[in-house]
Amino acid sequence: MFYLRLVRGYRVIDLGRWLLTAVAAAVVAGFLLRALGLALSDPPVGATDRLLWCLPPLVAVGWFAAIAARAVPAQRPERMAGLTAAGAGPRWIRLMIAGEIALACAAGSVVSLLVFLVLRNNIAGAWLAPDLGMGVALPLAAPITLLTLLPLAAGLAAAFAVPVREELPGGADPAEARHFHPARTVLAGALALGGTLTELYGLRPAAPVDPHPLRLPADLGRTSVNLLIGWGIAALGLALLTGPLLAFAGRLLALGRPSARRLLAGRGLTDQAGRLGAPPAVLALTVAVVLTAVRQWVTPGMRSGEPLPAAEAVLITGCVTAAAIARLTELRTARRPATATLHQLGASPQLLFGAAALRWLAGGTVLLLTGGTTAALAAGILRS
Amino acid sequence: MSAAPSAAPPDNDVLWARGIVKSHNGTPALRDVSIGIREGEVLAITGPRGSGKSTLLGCLSALLPVDRGEVWFNSSPVHTLSRAGREKLRRDRFGFVGPEPRLVPELTARENVALPLLLAGAGHKAAYSAADDWLERLDVTVCAKRRPSELVQTERQRIAVARALAPLPRVVFADDPTAPLHREAQDQVLRILTSAARSHQLTLVLATHDPELARYADRTVALVDGRTPVPAAPVRRGTPVPAAY
Repeated sequence: MFYLRLVRGYRVIDLGRWLLTAVAAAVVAGFLLRALGLALSDPPVGATDRLLWCLPPLVAVGWFAAIAARAVPAQRPERMAGLTAAGAGPRWIRLMIAGEIALACAAGSVVSLLVFLVLRNNIAGAWLAPDLGMGVALPLAAPITLLTLLPLAAGLAAAFAVPVREELPGGADPAEARHFHPARTVLAGALALGGTLTELYGLRPAAPVDPHPLRLPADLGRTSVNLLIGWGIAALGLALLTGPLLAFAGRLLALGRPSARRLLAGRGLTDQAGRLGAPPAVLALTVAVVLTAVRQWVTPGMRSGEPLPAAEAVLITGCVTAAAIARLTELRTARRPATATLHQLGASPQLLFGAAALRWLAGGTVLLLTGGTTAALAAGILRS
Repeated sequence: MSAAPSAAPPDNDVLWARGIVKSHNGTPALRDVSIGIREGEVLAITGPRGSGKSTLLGCLSALLPVDRGEVWFNSSPVHTLSRAGREKLRRDRFGFVGPEPRLVPELTARENVALPLLLAGAGHKAAYSAADDWLERLDVTVCAKRRPSELVQTERQRIAVARALAPLPRVVFADDPTAPLHREAQDQVLRILTSAARSHQLTLVLATHDPELARYADRTVALVDGRTPVPAAPVRRGTPVPAAY
């Protein structure tokens, strides 16, 4: 009951988080149930493969759940302060946020299960019959196991991500900016460079033809193991390099004798690079991979008509984008006091807007650079 | 407005307000406040918490628009100014120290102090030399290269004071500036504020809940429940600051 009363005060962003989690969960549950249906009608062939295909979207939903849960206390500090004042400790708040995400996942899963059961009732045409395992009795344990998996995974991811602070939110400084350790930057740079060189070496004109090409799933064509490893290392390096590069772009912006706009934009970007953390890098990596896959799919003769990879690509991109947006809103709320200070100092909205635009421009350029390089390298390793 | 004095304010009032009313989302904060602040004086506004001091400072410093009444600065109206006009006034003429330092977290102490000058369009060199100068006066030169999160509260508050004074504004508003400080630091910060005001002919409006600290002021106005019940207390200009502590 108490939870329902809290929900009454939800704003668009809270409802959006709930709905998005539920929809993503429904889609993943749909994938899981389809794997079950196919396993029922055609047991031995590729059942493990199909279950493994459900893993990336499951991870994506868990990732979004973790980032969104972490953002909740920061997005509405006044609400958390109210709950804390009412006697809700950090553990209670963590439980509430994780429970809410698990509930949204459960709701989405149940909707999927209902649709699955209804469709199994000979409503869908014959073309869907193998996907639903129509005509075969459904073992009760199977759907229950598959559907508890999702709320459990997302709820646990959320519970571990919620920051436990003993002090009142908003009372102390928001988490101090993390600086990138030089060793990390060097390691990331070395990985990116090493991976790229490995791949380019494998692609040199005089390279011998791989006698055992690796057939990639989801109609992505063929490649060789060396190239794939090279690309993987390069992509990891580029993703790890995104944060330090953002910080460096901020430094470049504030170089020399900056005006107030350039100073605020540059220092702000350097500071936020540490707070943004992984979501932008993950977004750039995901978009790069998805775009490469789409490019491959639209090439004539490459597509076999399997809808699953495309649906997964949409879901994963959606989850990763939503996670990046959640992190951005978290930072935006954390910056409220600083914005109020600037307002008090008489900084005009035009100046603040200009600083934000510069920051976005520089940050977008960095993401375009890392994501674009990842995509180009990925396109390079694929052979039809 | 019938009760308000109809006479024009004295010419030497740099800032004056008449019959201002202000409420925050329906909660009345100021119910009818009239006040005149003379050029170059140190005025203390005293009152308990919740008496409307901060709101009054907000209205006088062009941060908050008034619901009713008038605010005039240098014989020009503030209450009719647009948002941009109020921003310009805050940027070019007013300085503000709050009860919390409220520094921009990603800037170093030096950049924080130089920021108002940069915002007002001062050159890079002028802004940073003024910043260095004021950091030295407030005894926080060692903090110049560090960020607010690496400093202790006393140092941050001193940097906030330096930021308010560095552009040499016409009026400095100090809203309980000693709230985060220990007593000896309180004394030092208030001495610096008042001596800077006197030596640079700045007007200082000091809001405090501590009647003890009002001794730094030339004049005191008491605020109770959003009203000025007693007319401005008689001028105590030149009252020596008690040395004993």
